[in-house]
Amino acid sequence: MNEGQLDFLELRGITKRFGDFTALADVNLSISEGEFFTLVGPSGSGKTTLIRILVGMDSPTGGEISLNGNVINDVPANRRPTCMVFQNLALFPHKTVGQNVEFAMKIAGVAPATRRERANELLELLRLPADFYSKRINQCSGGERQRIALARALAFDPEILFFDEPLSALDYRLRKTLEKELKDIHRETGKTFVYITHSLEEAMVMSDRIGILNHGHLIQIGSPDDIYNRPCNKFVAQFMGEVNTLEVVRAAEGRVRHVDSDASFEIISDVNDFESGFLIIRPEVMKIGRAAAELPNQIQGVLFNDYALGSRVQYQVRSEDGESHWLVERLQDDPFAASPGQSVTIGWRPEDSILVTS
Amino acid sequence: MKSLVHWVRQPGFLNALPVGVFLLVGFAGPLVLVLLYSFMPPKTFKLDQLPTLENYVSVVTQSYYISFGWSLTLAVVTVILLLIITYPIAYGMAKLFGKWATLVTILVALPLLISENIRLFGWVLLLLKNGIIDGSLQFLFGVSLSGLLYTVPAVVLGLVYVYLPFMLFPLVIGMSMVPDSLKEAASDLGASRLQIFWEVELPLSMPGILIGSLLVFILALGSLAESKILGGQVIVMIADDIESAFTFAQNWPKGSVLSVLLITLSLVIIFFLFRKIDLDRLVGRR
Amino acid sequence: MKSQRQRRIAHALIVVWTGAVLVFLYMPMLSVVLASFTKQRYFRFPVKAWDTRWYEKAFESLSVRDLFWTSFSVALLVTLISVVLAFFGALAFARYDWKGRKLYQRLILLPIFFPQAVLGLALLLWFSSLGITTSWQTAVFAHMIWILPIVTLIMSIQVYSFDPVWEEAAYDLGASRLQVLREITLPILAPGIISGAIFAFLLSWGNFPLSLFTTGADQTIPEWLYAKMVSGYTPMVPTLGSLTMGGAAGFLLVAFVVMIVIRRVKQGKSNQLR
Repeated sequence: MNEGQLDFLELRGITKRFGDFTALADVNLSISEGEFFTLVGPSGSGKTTLIRILVGMDSPTGGEISLNGNVINDVPANRRPTCMVFQNLALFPHKTVGQNVEFAMKIAGVAPATRRERANELLELLRLPADFYSKRINQCSGGERQRIALARALAFDPEILFFDEPLSALDYRLRKTLEKELKDIHRETGKTFVYITHSLEEAMVMSDRIGILNHGHLIQIGSPDDIYNRPCNKFVAQFMGEVNTLEVVRAAEGRVRHVDSDASFEIISDVNDFESGFLIIRPEVMKIGRAAAELPNQIQGVLFNDYALGSRVQYQVRSEDGESHWLVERLQDDPFAASPGQSVTIGWRPEDSILVTS
Repeated sequence: MKSLVHWVRQPGFLNALPVGVFLLVGFAGPLVLVLLYSFMPPKTFKLDQLPTLENYVSVVTQSYYISFGWSLTLAVVTVILLLIITYPIAYGMAKLFGKWATLVTILVALPLLISENIRLFGWVLLLLKNGIIDGSLQFLFGVSLSGLLYTVPAVVLGLVYVYLPFMLFPLVIGMSMVPDSLKEAASDLGASRLQIFWEVELPLSMPGILIGSLLVFILALGSLAESKILGGQVIVMIADDIESAFTFAQNWPKGSVLSVLLITLSLVIIFFLFRKIDLDRLVGRR
Repeated sequence: MKSQRQRRIAHALIVVWTGAVLVFLYMPMLSVVLASFTKQRYFRFPVKAWDTRWYEKAFESLSVRDLFWTSFSVALLVTLISVVLAFFGALAFARYDWKGRKLYQRLILLPIFFPQAVLGLALLLWFSSLGITTSWQTAVFAHMIWILPIVTLIMSIQVYSFDPVWEEAAYDLGASRLQVLREITLPILAPGIISGAIFAFLLSWGNFPLSLFTTGADQTIPEWLYAKMVSGYTPMVPTLGSLTMGGAAGFLLVAFVVMIVIRRVKQGKSNQLR
């Protein structure tokens, strides 16, 4: 990636208000050519509004969008060299698969023979058998429809391809397969992909970079590694799944004090400019039993229950006074034996915890 | 002012405009005119007189309660008969017939596309002295049933016949909205067949029953052709009176008063009906 | 197992009852057809002699031809205008979410439930107050007051299943507003538009109460039938009645066949392209 132009798509101060409600507040972002960029946010975060503005279905209240150096705010959707794969795919029910794929070319006035040739190429690229050309949409399965929708968008030969959570309606396994396929297609076509989803997990698999959107604010932009290991706040840290979040204040040099339990923990972050905030510890870095015995940060607790997660096991541990709950995960084949009700020690290394101020 | 402009610019409003304007001119306009005429002195053909309640007084004091009474009575009788006749069919269509229900729907709906008076004329042929029923009985058993036509039961028969689909279809929709699992759950909880009907099926299909009944009631209330074709002169229904006031008697204000009374009664029922139904769900099956 | 048997008997009774009611619905129409083939001047059952001379007379009669053309012209015009107006009306009914929609949905249905005879008389009053002489053209207007809402309702059923995102997708893929209408909106809504047109035509063709007061000196077939029915029997009544029923049935049949052919042609086309 990143061979292309750097500020290919640029958003400067994009704001959208509906009456008194601010859906997007001063969003600044630049996406480079050939990149796979994903916007992640919970429902109501403004991500759908943003993508609708980017494809031209909606116009911003303020700010500027430029593509390849040209401001495109006033260019309507049908004149923008971008196109979108819709959440429900929006495949035309009265047209065959072939007619769907050829639609953009038909509108552009491409000759029927050329259209058909290109459509068949695209079907092949998307691993759809050639006889799909004359199938009706309602004869196709969910996964096949995803591929047809992608083929239809690629046939338009857009400079940027937008995706509005197209995989959200599929079952887990199919979604996992298609996430990878989508990443492969991105590599094969070299196009710029801008994807929105509410699942950070999905974003991690596919994206070069991820932007986190919450309440209309773009709160963090970074690589999947940045987002996972260096979240800028509690919201981003909790977005990936269950984590242990402790409200802490600064104690001594290299230590913080847990507000609820008064226990103090060692950290490695520089705490000079830190007054109060949150300590984040992901369940998979927590140790339990003998593995925790040597660690500087330790808690005594009672094993409340265990849950099998396939390759891992998750434990819920409650502190002895029952006030705080802890989640611990470890690999299934790691030897550890304790049953609910027993006392256990849990702990973590200072370098495995993350300190955020908000 | 700005919000008004905003409101008018809604695509929905703009699309509603052609139909809306048309109905304003063709429906609301005439009704307002009728209302205005009802306050004019008797037998005037212009709206330039001083408003008066004279017509209302004369309608109330004269014997119009008879035709109103007939219309109301026959409408109620029609509703009751149709409920009894169509309930089992609706049950069959909603729960038993499966794909055959579509065929029954089409077969019931098709006659609606044939002129009402042709279908009623068919009943004349059936009920006539020496007609199909009378003639068959004479031929087979030597008994004569000559006095069938031009009777009150013949009018009721016509009303039941013409408005049957308007009772059946709402019942079917109402009943198909009752999931079978509820009945199973009730029977699981120990309810008897009668209790299930009384406690589960009937209350849940009530919206359909209500819509069908009100629909048939207002349609029967304003009916004209049934009493004229099958009733002869045996009874006069309210629509008859309205017609003769406007045409033979040439008394527009009196006809208007009777219309206003009938319209008000219908509107009250329609208003009640509309409060009961969610059109998006009913038409769109969302 | 006793209740199982009881249930089976109950189900059988419902089937029999439904069959009986269907016979009840069609019996009068069969009677009309039967009466149209009798030879006598006055209808008597059992029929002793059959004849088709009333049909011959009907086809020769100039006044019948006039009646037919009046009914046909009214129905055709009503269909054309209603379909266009109802198309937009249905979009407002089912597609757009707008302030005032619930009220619009209800107001538009009022004419359907309104007593038609009273509506006809009110329109008569309206026309004469406006100084318009009633004729078959005013009947077109009158029919539409009742038929336009029905057609709007029928088209709305199709519009409810229309997803506006299809239009957005086409627009996004480069289509102009007009191309979106031609390529996406109209073809997808076509079944609803056609059903609406069929209903508009047949309901206008068979309408009596509105025509009665609004056609003036012109006369439609249902009006003529009514006039003859109340003034005394003539064998032309069942004959013309059968002919209008036959016309309606024929129209439905043609519409049905056309719809099937269109579907076949569409499928054939897509197969050819393979």
